[in-house]
Amino acid sequence: MIRTASAVRRRARVRRASILAFLAVMGPGIITGFAGNDAGGVTTYTAVGAHYGFALLWLLLLSTAGLLVIQEMCARMGAVTGKGLSDLIRERFGVRWTIVAMIALLIANGSNVAAEFAGVAASLELLGVERIVSVPAAALVIWALIVFFSYRVVERALFVLVLAFVAYPISAVIVHPDWDSVMRGLAIPTLSTQQAALIAALALVGTTITPYMQFYIQASIVDKGIDREQYRFARVDVYLGAILTGLNGFFIIVAAGAVLFPAHVIVGSASDAAQALGPLAGEQAKLLFGVGLLGASLLAALVMPLSTSYAICEAFGWESGISRNFREAPVFMGLFTFLIAIGALVVLSPNVPLIPLILVSQNVNGLLLPIVLIFILLLAGDRTVMGDQANGRVSQVVGIGTALMASALSIGLVAVTVFGL
Amino acid sequence: MPYLSEIQNRRVIEPNGNVVGRLTDVAVVPQGQFPAAQWAILATPGGEKVVRWADLAQEIGHLRLRSRLEATPPAQLPPDALRLARDLLDKQIVDTHGAKVVRVNDLQLSEVDGQLRLVGADVGLRGLLRRVGAEGVAERIAGVAGRRLPRGIIPWHLVEPLQAKEPEAPKTAAVRLTIPHQKLALLHPADIADVVEEMTADERVAVFQQLDLETAADALQEVEPEMQAAIVSDLPEERAADILEEMDPDEAADLLQDLPEDRREELVDLMEKEEASDVEELLTYPEDSAGGIMTTDFVALPGEQTAAQSIDQLREKKPDPELTYYLYVVDAQGKLEGVLSLRDLVVAPPETKVTAIMDPRVLKIPAETPKEEVASLIAKYDLLALPVIDARGRLLGTVTVDDVVELILPRGWKKRSLRSIAR
Repeated sequence: MIRTASAVRRRARVRRASILAFLAVMGPGIITGFAGNDAGGVTTYTAVGAHYGFALLWLLLLSTAGLLVIQEMCARMGAVTGKGLSDLIRERFGVRWTIVAMIALLIANGSNVAAEFAGVAASLELLGVERIVSVPAAALVIWALIVFFSYRVVERALFVLVLAFVAYPISAVIVHPDWDSVMRGLAIPTLSTQQAALIAALALVGTTITPYMQFYIQASIVDKGIDREQYRFARVDVYLGAILTGLNGFFIIVAAGAVLFPAHVIVGSASDAAQALGPLAGEQAKLLFGVGLLGASLLAALVMPLSTSYAICEAFGWESGISRNFREAPVFMGLFTFLIAIGALVVLSPNVPLIPLILVSQNVNGLLLPIVLIFILLLAGDRTVMGDQANGRVSQVVGIGTALMASALSIGLVAVTVFGL
Repeated sequence: MPYLSEIQNRRVIEPNGNVVGRLTDVAVVPQGQFPAAQWAILATPGGEKVVRWADLAQEIGHLRLRSRLEATPPAQLPPDALRLARDLLDKQIVDTHGAKVVRVNDLQLSEVDGQLRLVGADVGLRGLLRRVGAEGVAERIAGVAGRRLPRGIIPWHLVEPLQAKEPEAPKTAAVRLTIPHQKLALLHPADIADVVEEMTADERVAVFQQLDLETAADALQEVEPEMQAAIVSDLPEERAADILEEMDPDEAADLLQDLPEDRREELVDLMEKEEASDVEELLTYPEDSAGGIMTTDFVALPGEQTAAQSIDQLREKKPDPELTYYLYVVDAQGKLEGVLSLRDLVVAPPETKVTAIMDPRVLKIPAETPKEEVASLIAKYDLLALPVIDARGRLLGTVTVDDVVELILPRGWKKRSLRSIAR
């Protein structure tokens, strides 16, 4: 068939229009993907690669698939109902279940905030700053930023720091890993039933699919005012974000698995973790890793307490918003202040080892993930809530599979820990 | 007065005491001020059953069907019926601009004219606690701490369920509620203040933008002092200045006292000259002194004036009723010479000078007198107002009984009084 010039132009116009439409609604998914790249993520992926080589890559692949499907559900719920996740949980399940969900979210995010402050402490210790100085300073600055200034500008500046982690894909390629064993790790599921292995596995799932991200993506979609019409473009953005999270984990695990695993490095500190960037950055690896980790930790420590407060106040109908003062929105202001204070205090408690603290926090996320997933699956599959946009069979099956996987790991870990099997 | 959460899940029994199921929901047609409960939705072993509310009798701890379930005619919900638990409970109450206000924690029902009616939405902490069965416990704990749990109920006639925009959209996603501002304006200013105190900051500002000036000023005076300052800070300056002009000068001065200095000056500059100078004068006195609480509106009669001239003066000025309890007589320098009542003036021969009929032994206080002392004087001598003078004896203003009522009334009589005592 011979195309006329005008037909070609028309096609180009159509394509340009849809690219514009995509650009207009893109963001939430990719930003959420980035947000997953926090202290918990980087540390967990590095530890998994260093201690188990490529052996757990299959679990990352499954988690990423689960993440993709679940993020899409949440984004779809946001677009169809125009309401946040905690909103829907309250309206559909009433006060008691809302309390259950919100306590789960509060604990998961509280442990995340502690992990972020541990990330701040670890990264600045690399650069020679004691945590007794860095953590209180970071907590105060973050609190003041939220209460007195606009944190949006700072948010963007921190994004730039996080770009230091682009070093991981480059490292992963230039160290020439054994790609055959990488492929085997991806394709063949193996898992030791030792406690340490289960901790690593649950942390891997918990950090890839955090409860936090599900609330965050849905809120972002609602905030952007994305409706059913625009959702087909937003969906691409959501998929890209989930894939970005997976790729990010993949490259960190590969870099760590290729550099640290053969050297039998046990990741006990940030400087151990920084070695994974050694082949690329040489002497500057610590600096590069430190800057990236600092940016990622600060960014998440800024956003996480805030969005937790928003979600909880939304569920209970309490006044929220950073333009309010303590008198007008006592619970909102109190909650994020509490989260920042607790997170900083945990890290400052004497002799707490930072890297294990971060890994444990991601386990807490993994343990609580099934609770949040059940709510998401019940809501997204409910026709009275979603109408004709309710979950199809594939989404529901993948979602249930993900919940089962997280539950099985959680139960396994608890069993091993309690009964010492 | 039952709440939905208290009757929901009650057992439903047949006349012979046989349990047939539980009450899951109550349905109304949202028309009129307080819609009546018309249908009950029952969960029975045979599935969901809808019966007319009139076929049920409320008894202690359960509901009794008036006849056996099989003999009770099944009812059909009309399409515009609202199921309280499904369609209203836990939903957000949003204002007309779509900003978030609060959430429906419970629904208040009340027996009106022999019919159970929906009378209010409980949006407070109590409702939340009641839903998890912790209201009693929390009340006791609060009681130990010497406090009471606040109630937060929005009367139903101030609330409007919003109908779904898209007909095919699920009903639960579309029912929202709204407090229409037009309805608000019909309330007494004191009631408006109560509703406004429950709102978000944005919503409050929107309300004070829309009310007419006089109502806005009256309502603002009734709002608790800390919130007054917040509202005035958030309003556009022109609007804030217009409302301040309409307020009683002493109330306006009190409010301005709570604002940061630069904002206060801006607003006074924007006010009309006359009102501004009254307010500025009041601002020079400490907030808790006679000068700080007095009003500069009063009736002053020149001493050389006759009774007839004075009556003409009143007729022309038309002062507010509370200013006519006492008429003050001043000399050419504005010095307070005496006081007389409206009755004294009216019964006196028209050509008598007011100095001849006045009582020169007038109780007066300097502007620096602490307000507690003012209050006890007013209470002791049963006065309606007390004149306030400066060092040279010139009449500055009056403190009326309503300016100190909160210091006189017993604790808890009026919620504002409680707050000002606590301050």
